[in-house]
Amino acid sequence: MTTKKVSYFYNPDVGNFHYGTGHPMKPHRLSVIHSLVLKYGLHNKMSIYRPYKASVHDMCRFHSDEYIDFLQRVTPQNIQAFTKHLSHYNVGDDCPVFYGLFDFCSMYTGASLEGAMKLNNNHCDIAINWSGGLHHAKKFEASGFCYVNDIVIGILELLKYHARVLYIDIDVHHGDGVQEAFYLTDRVMTVSFHKYGNYFFPGTGDMYEIGAETGRYYSVNVPFKEGIDDVSYFQVFKPVISNVMEFYNPTAIVLQCGADSLAGDRLGCFSLSTKGHGECVKFVKDLNVPTLVVGGGGYTLRNVARCWTYETSLLIDEEISNELPYTEYLEFFAPDFSLHPEVVTRQENANSRQYLEAITKYVYDNLKMCQHSPSVQMHDVPPDAIHEDEKIKEEENPDVRISQDLEDKMVDAKNEFYDGDKDQDKPDEDL
Amino acid sequence: MFICNMGDVVAVNNENGKDAPSPSKDKLFDPSVDMLVNDFDDERTLEEEEALAAGESEDPNAELSSLQKESNMPLEELLKLYGYHNENQENESPIEEEDEVDPEPMEEQESEPDPPEQPSGLHVLYEPITDHEDASRLLRSVSRVSEEEEEDYDYSPDEEEWRKVNKTIMVGSDYQAQIPEGLCHYDDALPYENEDKLLWNPNILNGLVIENFLKKAAVVNKSVIPMGSQLRDDEQALFLLQQCGHNVDEAIRRISINTLPNADAMSLWSEEECRNFESGVRSFGKNFHQIQQNKVRTRSVGELVQFYYLWKKSERHDIFANKSRLEKKKYALHPGLTDFMDRFLEDQDGRDRSSSPNVQFSSDNAIGFSRLQRRPITNTLNVKQKYYSFIRQTNITRLPSLQI
Repeated sequence: MTTKKVSYFYNPDVGNFHYGTGHPMKPHRLSVIHSLVLKYGLHNKMSIYRPYKASVHDMCRFHSDEYIDFLQRVTPQNIQAFTKHLSHYNVGDDCPVFYGLFDFCSMYTGASLEGAMKLNNNHCDIAINWSGGLHHAKKFEASGFCYVNDIVIGILELLKYHARVLYIDIDVHHGDGVQEAFYLTDRVMTVSFHKYGNYFFPGTGDMYEIGAETGRYYSVNVPFKEGIDDVSYFQVFKPVISNVMEFYNPTAIVLQCGADSLAGDRLGCFSLSTKGHGECVKFVKDLNVPTLVVGGGGYTLRNVARCWTYETSLLIDEEISNELPYTEYLEFFAPDFSLHPEVVTRQENANSRQYLEAITKYVYDNLKMCQHSPSVQMHDVPPDAIHEDEKIKEEENPDVRISQDLEDKMVDAKNEFYDGDKDQDKPDEDL
Repeated sequence: MFICNMGDVVAVNNENGKDAPSPSKDKLFDPSVDMLVNDFDDERTLEEEEALAAGESEDPNAELSSLQKESNMPLEELLKLYGYHNENQENESPIEEEDEVDPEPMEEQESEPDPPEQPSGLHVLYEPITDHEDASRLLRSVSRVSEEEEEDYDYSPDEEEWRKVNKTIMVGSDYQAQIPEGLCHYDDALPYENEDKLLWNPNILNGLVIENFLKKAAVVNKSVIPMGSQLRDDEQALFLLQQCGHNVDEAIRRISINTLPNADAMSLWSEEECRNFESGVRSFGKNFHQIQQNKVRTRSVGELVQFYYLWKKSERHDIFANKSRLEKKKYALHPGLTDFMDRFLEDQDGRDRSSSPNVQFSSDNAIGFSRLQRRPITNTLNVKQKYYSFIRQTNITRLPSLQI
């Protein structure tokens, strides 16, 4: 198998936002992941981009103008003036108004959008944006910590070049925002694996939600009960995705890697290990289809960081040690300081083998109904969302041989022996 | 959005009970998967099931048995609180299944009498009875709180506030994304390959030739605003040269053909107009309307704006900016002290410098002007260069770096 070109999108400022005291969503996890990625040296094996920030115009490709306008204007200071809007747009409880809300949205959305563009232009095979994956946001309202649905906007960009896009969601919550956005179309198939029942958020994701009109049979839902472990999860995941690939044959994939399906998550209730979670990512990677990988949920910070760091290494085919490198966040990972800690779960697996088999069978029966993958006529080319030159480039410093920007985009060869230009280590026998 | 506390659901259920699809239809499908999903007990008797399907879930026996089944669920208390509601939901599942089999799912959804299945129509009915929307939204943050994260525990709102809202996937232009029609051509060609256009290749002619060409081009291509004594890169001229296959004479010929309309577009500004414009900028800033009203009545506001952008790049502007900066500095250094002699000298100096109406290389007294001009220009350039290099250095240190 040939190695894949991987692009990684990270805005250094995206980790500096805060949803508010006690809120389980912590954008700071993104900084932790990035520092682990750097300390493991994974940045040498992929191109790193400081992504474009999405404009109002980009967001309005899915969302309504009024809603985005509201997001842009509301701040913790003037929130009183918007009392009416708050409940209308579901902003307040789960989705608080915090400082820099709109900047935060435009950062993670821009990264997903640019990732989709890079895939469209064949600049890379895999695009990673851990800050994205906010799959609950609806056209007219925020929901479940999500304000702008970067996935939908990314998929819309992919649809310019791809006849069929597959969306896979392994977050513990149902990917309702994305499913709803593409409920009536056959050009996007949404497949979501999630906990369902007992009033678990967001309340949708029953296996009977299969799409409507043209999109009938193009929404796939795999509801699990609490406590599912690695073996049971993969026992369903593998055949479902294989069948989807066989029947739908997508030309691009968007994978939402919500890490709240890990054991011990603050909000989730599954019992997956980082390895089990990563197994799904690896399986999707090995399908050899251009893939946009985004983050999502994940509310036990240390586990999210472990999981996504590990998955980054999987995506670039690089083995990394179980011992975590030293970072300023090392104490988060006490007491084991390892990448794959032992899974401790008090949750019993409520999914019987019989149940899992039945659900796999049901999904398979539905997939058979959409045997004919839709094709699309060639058409006038809608222009790319961002023009390359629209990104404001700072003037390069003539005194520096290789600028930071350039260096970030360089990828070390697999067999690269030296750590860098200044590596002076000699083999032992010379000493 | 269509929120209802439990009482409402019961009421509506009873109202619409007669419209509900008859339970006999349930036999159309194999219920095994369905039963598994919804925690149905295989040993449930037929009577019980029928009774439930008919919407008479208030039957205490059924409720008790269901509660027993749910007893090992984590959210026991909630289940007890809303046990009735839960039963109700279980009963609806077969109806949903029924729905999917129907050839016209959309219409069926419209006429579906169950409140959770039919958001839009009933929503209107509900509006008057719903009291507190916010409290009853399904909140994600309360779904599970781990004991380990004590410090954040206080965030979770009251569990009592957490009501089951029957969320469904909504259909309509308000909910779905607009899918772009059609596809782009997507072949093996590298992106952008055909769009790239070579504007200039510096390796073909040597520097001297190009410099001479640019000098000639500058003479031919008279600009409205004095461009100064430095030789500037004229991108358009270079592009033309490249289009002419790097034939200098041909390029010059073409430039001389093309320049005329350019000069027409904006007639030359007299020195007086220039000076008036500058004094206007000084007193009104960029309020071109005011400048037009009070200073340069001979030109339209549009012309002023056009002139402003040309002027900004000219050396007149450098002198102008430099002078105003100096003035500011002086007053800032000695506030309240007015040195009239100094001011007078400076004014004289400034007038001398800007006394060239439309400096052109062709004019006979160009040498005289350029002597006057040279010193101040180089001065301003030096200042500017220092200024830029300073910015550049500070920028570098401030750039967010990846800390590699």
